[in-house]
Amino acid sequence: MRARMQGTDQPILETRALGKRFSIGTRFSSEGRRVVHAVDNVSLTVQRGETLGLVGESGCGKSTLARCLVRLYDITEGQLLFEGEDITGKSLAGLRPFRRRLQMVFQDPSASLNPRRRVGDLVAEPLRVHGKLGAKAIRERVVELFDLVGLLPDHVVRYPHEFSGGQRQRVGIARAIALNPDLVVLDEPVSALDVSVQAQIVNLLADLQEKLKLTYVFIAHDLSVVRQVSNRIAVMYLGSIVEEGPSEEVFSAPAHPYSQALISAVPVVETTPSGRRKRIILSGDVPSPLNPPAGCRFHPRCPVAQERCARERPTLVEHKAGRKVACHFPTI
Amino acid sequence: MILSVRDLKVSFRTDDGVVRAIDGVSFDLAEGEILGVVGESGSGKTVSLLAVMGLITDPNAVIEGSIRYKGRELVGLPASELRLLRGNEIAMIFQDPMTALTPVYTIGWQIAEQIRAHQRISKAAAMKRVEELLAEVNFPNPHEAMSRYPHQLSGGMRQRAVIAMALSCSPALLVADEPTTALDVTVQAGILDLVRKLRATHNSAVVFITHDMGVVSELADRVMVMYAGRIVERGSRQDLFADSLHPYTRALLGSIPPLTGDKPHRLPAIPGSPPSLLRLPKGCAFAPRCPVRYEPCDLGKPVLGDGSHAAACFRTAQP
Repeated sequence: MRARMQGTDQPILETRALGKRFSIGTRFSSEGRRVVHAVDNVSLTVQRGETLGLVGESGCGKSTLARCLVRLYDITEGQLLFEGEDITGKSLAGLRPFRRRLQMVFQDPSASLNPRRRVGDLVAEPLRVHGKLGAKAIRERVVELFDLVGLLPDHVVRYPHEFSGGQRQRVGIARAIALNPDLVVLDEPVSALDVSVQAQIVNLLADLQEKLKLTYVFIAHDLSVVRQVSNRIAVMYLGSIVEEGPSEEVFSAPAHPYSQALISAVPVVETTPSGRRKRIILSGDVPSPLNPPAGCRFHPRCPVAQERCARERPTLVEHKAGRKVACHFPTI
Repeated sequence: MILSVRDLKVSFRTDDGVVRAIDGVSFDLAEGEILGVVGESGSGKTVSLLAVMGLITDPNAVIEGSIRYKGRELVGLPASELRLLRGNEIAMIFQDPMTALTPVYTIGWQIAEQIRAHQRISKAAAMKRVEELLAEVNFPNPHEAMSRYPHQLSGGMRQRAVIAMALSCSPALLVADEPTTALDVTVQAGILDLVRKLRATHNSAVVFITHDMGVVSELADRVMVMYAGRIVERGSRQDLFADSLHPYTRALLGSIPPLTGDKPHRLPAIPGSPPSLLRLPKGCAFAPRCPVRYEPCDLGKPVLGDGSHAAACFRTAQP
């Protein structure tokens, strides 16, 4: 409450040079103990009511960052602030009041829902853990939540396997919004779903955002879905943000060579043969985060790399209001 | 025609009853042609092509209809004769390259084995051929890659190795089942380029299975849309994307958010979800989700018309 009164400019969520290292291997393995810098020096702000889209290819650290944002992982560097309050090092008990307001939806609803419990119980669980509601009030709230996400009241007694993928994801969403959170981190919420069902879930998320005044961090590798839902976009490559800006600007005029290649690589339905866009094909694969290249991490694959890029790592610089690029030679 | 499939039906006997995974699929494929097969999970796109490859070995499966490869009937062909075709004249690429490669041998060994299974050449000559193939699929350092094990390669590189293996005998027909679904878009772009190049250099016919309309529109000459075990629409890429007939095709295209231009406030979503093959509606399988359904749709199954562009729908007139 205190934080909310500090004015409207205060971001709901902020990361300051946030990093996450994992150590892998043991002293006894052939390569010894090694450190993966999965997320490196990420500074982001999320404003109340907006949707921040986070895009990047597999292994770029977007899911690790998502888990750091809701403190499912302990953060190893930098700070995480929720409404201005530092929650980087808070204990599990200290986090409890924040957990209610900071929720997450996972990619695969069949993996994130306990198959041995009825979905009504699954949605009621956060209410029992956090709530002060009695049994009857919880039952009513569950039915209300089912209605909100487009499920029927008599679905509460069913088990997850009795649902289709789309319905299961609705259950996952109901569970995430059960406690009236302020911010929901959605990690690939539609990528496990059939194409014909994805649009339903995208629309549902938009409706809920409007109705419940939610803030979203939306992570996906499907760029057209991210564009549809996001106000702002952050592009990640090998653990760091390489470009950030308003969704429309980043999609229509990407400034970082990686964002350009990524957006150009998306196959789109073209009804006119002349409408085909120019495609930038990147050479090579994403390097291992265990052994990232020196200088700019993108330079070995970059079509416009110069000698400086191999030496010096570019920082994320704000070129105009809200438009940041980490590149020595951005097209902005 | 290199491949002619007529009234193909595949059913599986299960504890819950007979599941008809493919219900009367017919199509032709010409030399050097890329046919895109689009559909959601359970639409039968994979099963129909596994049947073509003779890879449905489940004793509970019943395959009916006719599959002719260069005029020769494949249904009922003994396994030993199918083996001579598979890997030699007909090659397949799967979604997950790890399932097509054995983890315990090097890439070079595996591709050479494949070549020597079909051609009488020396080991050294086979190895030389492997190096050429790896170069052809854009391995930056083919000689070194030959001594690598699958786990030492990235997903994109593994898929390239599998493609090199599929190409080793210059197949006349290449079947690719979601070969880029597990890959990132920047890697996918390279693989799609490769498929185009192969068609150009080897004049192979390609059947490309995918759920991604964008991929199909970039690659295919002709497209077949499947739903619940049947072909619901068939046509050239141009016909299908610029002038689609079936409400399912239209709805599917409409529900994909655009990458450029104006954003719709809400996506035109298709209600419901794909039906279970165990409980198919009596009429058109898409009827329960269809925006233009009327009485006849619930009474009988619409038939796919003849002609190069056709849809199985009572509403849309055959062109």
